[in-house]
Amino acid sequence: MSPVPKPLEPLIMHPRPSSIVAALYTLRDLDVDVVILHGPAGCSFKHARLLEEDGLRVVTTALDESGFVFGGHDELVNILNKVIEMFDPESIGIVGTCASMIIGEELHEAVLEVNPDVPVIEVEVHAGYRENTKGVIIALESALAAGILSEEEFERQKVLLNEATEVEKRHGAASKEYLEPSRGDTKYTVAKRIIQLLKEGKKCINILNAKKETGYMFADINAAVNQVAKDLGSDSVIVNMANLDENLGLDRVRGHARNIARDLKGMGVEVHEIIGGLDEYPVTGKTVSKLIAEKYPGFDFAVITGVPHAIPMDNLEGMEIISVTNGPRQVLPLKEMGHDHVMVEIDLHPKTLGVSNIVESEFGATLRELAREEMQ
Amino acid sequence: MKQIAIYGKGGIGKSSTASNVAAACADEGYSVTIIGCDPKSDSSITLLGGHRIPTVMELMQQRVEITEKDVVFEGYKGVKCVEVGGPEPGIGCAGRGIIVAIKTLQKISTVMQDCDLIIYDVPGDIVCGGFAAPIRKGLVNDTYVLTSGEYMPLYAANNICKGFARLGNQLNGVICNSRNAENEEAIVSAFARELGSDLLAFIPKDPIVQTCERAGFSVIEKEPESDIAKVYRKLARTIMERDSACVPEPVTDARLRELTG
Ligand code: SF4
Repeated sequence: MSPVPKPLEPLIMHPRPSSIVAALYTLRDLDVDVVILHGPAGCSFKHARLLEEDGLRVVTTALDESGFVFGGHDELVNILNKVIEMFDPESIGIVGTCASMIIGEELHEAVLEVNPDVPVIEVEVHAGYRENTKGVIIALESALAAGILSEEEFERQKVLLNEATEVEKRHGAASKEYLEPSRGDTKYTVAKRIIQLLKEGKKCINILNAKKETGYMFADINAAVNQVAKDLGSDSVIVNMANLDENLGLDRVRGHARNIARDLKGMGVEVHEIIGGLDEYPVTGKTVSKLIAEKYPGFDFAVITGVPHAIPMDNLEGMEIISVTNGPRQVLPLKEMGHDHVMVEIDLHPKTLGVSNIVESEFGATLRELAREEMQ
Repeated sequence: MKQIAIYGKGGIGKSSTASNVAAACADEGYSVTIIGCDPKSDSSITLLGGHRIPTVMELMQQRVEITEKDVVFEGYKGVKCVEVGGPEPGIGCAGRGIIVAIKTLQKISTVMQDCDLIIYDVPGDIVCGGFAAPIRKGLVNDTYVLTSGEYMPLYAANNICKGFARLGNQLNGVICNSRNAENEEAIVSAFARELGSDLLAFIPKDPIVQTCERAGFSVIEKEPESDIAKVYRKLARTIMERDSACVPEPVTDARLRELTG
């Protein structure tokens, strides 16, 4: 019997982070100290630099033409030795690139030669996978093999990743062949609208559904909604939902959840419903839908920050939806889902790397400022 | 200017054919350049009295500034010799090496312009885009396939023709380097015909070739009066005069097995 051909996925023309980049972020989440990118000096440099801000050291073997032709084994051995000598790391990651993978470099050979006495996570990845989550999976598999990740957590991560991929295909960056980047609606106009709704005493579902460290800024928006309501003396009911479960995910991610929850508390915000962990943003939607149906029907508007497209529309229907994302390519899909106002927090990610406190958002600041003007 | 490449299974005798053709053409007064693309870099050794020359890739690996005189050497009767070089087997990417070295050579030397004949001695089978680079980059206008009458070299030759067909590249002819297989000339002749091409030369197995090579010379230089030298001269003349070619139609594997009985 001849094999049944798989239907072709739509061609994605707009640039997205590659599997190499995804692997780098995963190693960061695993609290690896130093990552060696085995390939050209310029590969993934922008993300590599950002990750340096986040405490992960990223170095490169800087393979050049000669390296491509003759192989980069010696370079990798040298860098590995140097990394151990310079940083005295407790764990090391080695990430492949297109260049080293195409020429068939064997990362493990270098590790065997150097024989470090700390775990080394070897990630044989290149940028040629259609889904960048492949980079995460390969990194997690290697972490499992290196004994720094439990089988249970690995399986849990795999489920989440598959779901994340599906979410992106349904309404996210992989939903269309080409997505025009857009800044979305102006923050001034939408902030005014929220103030009006609050002044009218409309009931609000205020959801933080953030992806890991981006929560440090998105949470500021949810906090601002609460603070502004209070300042305006609004009698709106505000139900705060957040994916801030402190007992789920990798240690680093749990730490972020703890920090954000602590700061929200400090800002006088009560989180009424925990909808999952900070890495559970692709699956929290079901919980949100269920909660609204069972406990909070008939609300007037919703503010959703983080990954709003992961929240299904089922029980949001009938509410005025205000959502804030950090992806300029997310505006169109969100509008198509039926979100009334969509805003983008530009540069959110660089500003939330390496922090451990809530960071002020542009929309949060606009909302507070306008509310202050209202009060005068 | 003729720019030719000789393809064929590894070890089938491409380098001795290339160097003897180069020497024979030089005898006829042509200005000839030979560019050895095999990491073994033995295309030019018999034109240089047994001397091995530094390869372009070797120098690139040492990160030195390369000039023409570092990599282009004059051998028998003024034949210009260049060796591309490449990595040890099993590491790195030799195909990329060919691309990079040829680009470098184009930049630093006129050796690829000022001559009547350039011979690219290409390694083994076409296994990736890098090995096909001389063709794909338009540096080669005539291609030849070298084989014996045995199954494996014919299989490789047929594969190469598949590559040519895919690239829309024309084949100018088949050369048989005999291994004393039974019915060899008839087999290779039939194979060439079925590709839509011709058998251009039958080079008999002759110990003189090895003896000369071991001494570091081509047959043309060391044994100019030998019968085998005459064969190479005839082949050289054919190559210089030939202008017919076709996009080859590779045969099926079953047919190849039939041919080799
Ligand atoms: S092609 Fe691959 S290896 Fe090269 S820079 Fe891009 S991602 Fe890195």
